[in-house]
Amino acid sequence: MRPARAVQVGLTALILLYLLFPVIVVLAISFSSATYLRFPPPGLSLRWYAKLAASDEWLQAFALTLQVGAVTTLFSTLLGVPAAFGLVRLELRAKALLNGLLLMALITPAVIRALGSYLFFAPLGLVNSVVGLACAHTVSALPYLVINVVASLKGFDLAIERAAVVHGASPLTAIRRITLPIIAPGILVGAIFAFLSSAQELLVSIYLMGTVRKPLAVKMWEGVRVAVDPTIAAASTGVIVMAVLAFATASVLHRRVRRATAWDASLPEAAERSPGRV
Amino acid sequence: MRPRALAWLLLGPVAVWNLVFFMLPVAVMVGRSFDAHGLSLVHYRNLFTTGLYVSVMLTTFETSVLVTAGCLLLGYPVAYLLATSGPRARTVMLVLVLLPYWLDYIVRSYSWMVLLGRMGLVNRALIDLGVVPEPLPILYTRWSVTVGMIQILLPLTVLTLYSAMLRIDQGLLHAAAAHGASPSASFRRVFFPLSLPGVYGACLLTFVTSLGFYITPALLGGRKDTMISQLIVTVSTDMLDWSLASAVSVVLLVVSLLIVVVYNRFFSIDRLWGGSA
Repeated sequence: MRPARAVQVGLTALILLYLLFPVIVVLAISFSSATYLRFPPPGLSLRWYAKLAASDEWLQAFALTLQVGAVTTLFSTLLGVPAAFGLVRLELRAKALLNGLLLMALITPAVIRALGSYLFFAPLGLVNSVVGLACAHTVSALPYLVINVVASLKGFDLAIERAAVVHGASPLTAIRRITLPIIAPGILVGAIFAFLSSAQELLVSIYLMGTVRKPLAVKMWEGVRVAVDPTIAAASTGVIVMAVLAFATASVLHRRVRRATAWDASLPEAAERSPGRV
Repeated sequence: MRPRALAWLLLGPVAVWNLVFFMLPVAVMVGRSFDAHGLSLVHYRNLFTTGLYVSVMLTTFETSVLVTAGCLLLGYPVAYLLATSGPRARTVMLVLVLLPYWLDYIVRSYSWMVLLGRMGLVNRALIDLGVVPEPLPILYTRWSVTVGMIQILLPLTVLTLYSAMLRIDQGLLHAAAAHGASPSASFRRVFFPLSLPGVYGACLLTFVTSLGFYITPALLGGRKDTMISQLIVTVSTDMLDWSLASAVSVVLLVVSLLIVVVYNRFFSIDRLWGGSA
């Protein structure tokens, strides 16, 4: 290795450590035996997990996040998959417009979506409802779905679908029986990102749910502000485990889609199609 | 089916959804910002003549500039190494970059609270090493906000830079080497200039995202480090002044959109997300 290269590698290792250190800290503290926050923890225990599992409030928060996330994912998938087909396969001027709309929803600060949604939803009686919240979450979850399905469709060999049509399948049957199963992993990855995006929405949830029912993000937010013991760290570790599982699933699925379509893209290149959250 | 009808069928639902649940709420908010028992600019006047609000806007701008510069400085070497490594090393590095990316902002900010606090790891290390006699006030300052925000936004910067660097034609670098350019000269004269569109894109995305940050400055910042999103939340949920909160939001929205529009005039915005269509 050239010296310049060695310096580069060392520098990058330091920067990656900076990126990963907070994750390590939260993991370690969640297993702490102390009632105060200290890293490294003075001893190990599972008491904070036991406390979480015994708390109705935390369990309800978890259940609410699952509900809202599931509805958001369903809406995003139903809307996003057809849109991705349209974006990839049609030659339209409206495409640029739709792209702009999706990008705007992604770039607009969360607080603006939260305030706007509240002012719009409150008179309609859509506040404090799981479906209402999911409708608002879908706006920011949709781009993740569209981006991932668009990518899978671009890698899909159209000749396979044409072959089915040539052999007598109707275009819709060909899409349903041939195309959709092949791009299914791409749809699933998009769905996972959509779910995670919903689970992490804080401000929209605060504005639309009030303080009566709290999704996990809101419950954690309140916990962090009083930050007295490592319960939050245990809850966070739950979130980390969820994210890692989702990430591992996405990775396996992507390998499958690559094999199925001979599409030469690795997981990281696909995951990189997940632009920022605000 | 005629292509037009098909287009409506496929793209219509998303467009309508975004119109109803995104554009309309924003429109209602804009309307609310001009509302004071009739059409009026009074909220905007209050906004721009109250010292506190103006200083919050300035703080937001300064912090975002600091964060963007930091992300670029730390992100470029990582992206460069990613773009020039073999496939195996590249995959490992990308996983390491992406793992924290999908971790909740709350969790990551919380972790910095633990590390930077009065008796946090950083302060204890400084005391043990004899650098300082007593804990430094690191947490609840501009610096803790910046450190936390850079950590949160860095994956976004790295990925944007990296995908732009992947589009650089490797043949040009080989040509430079073949004509006798040293590695550093070929980086300076060929690779770096070609990576500039990616640099601009990454700066734009990082800057616009940091303008709207709420969680990190609220947890890691002091009173003086309040950013514009916190101001909007305070004015709306504590002061219950929905019109003023709307006016502040409109300012944030207009600034964010202006940056994106200006960028789009010079560089195609489609490239940002891989030109997905």
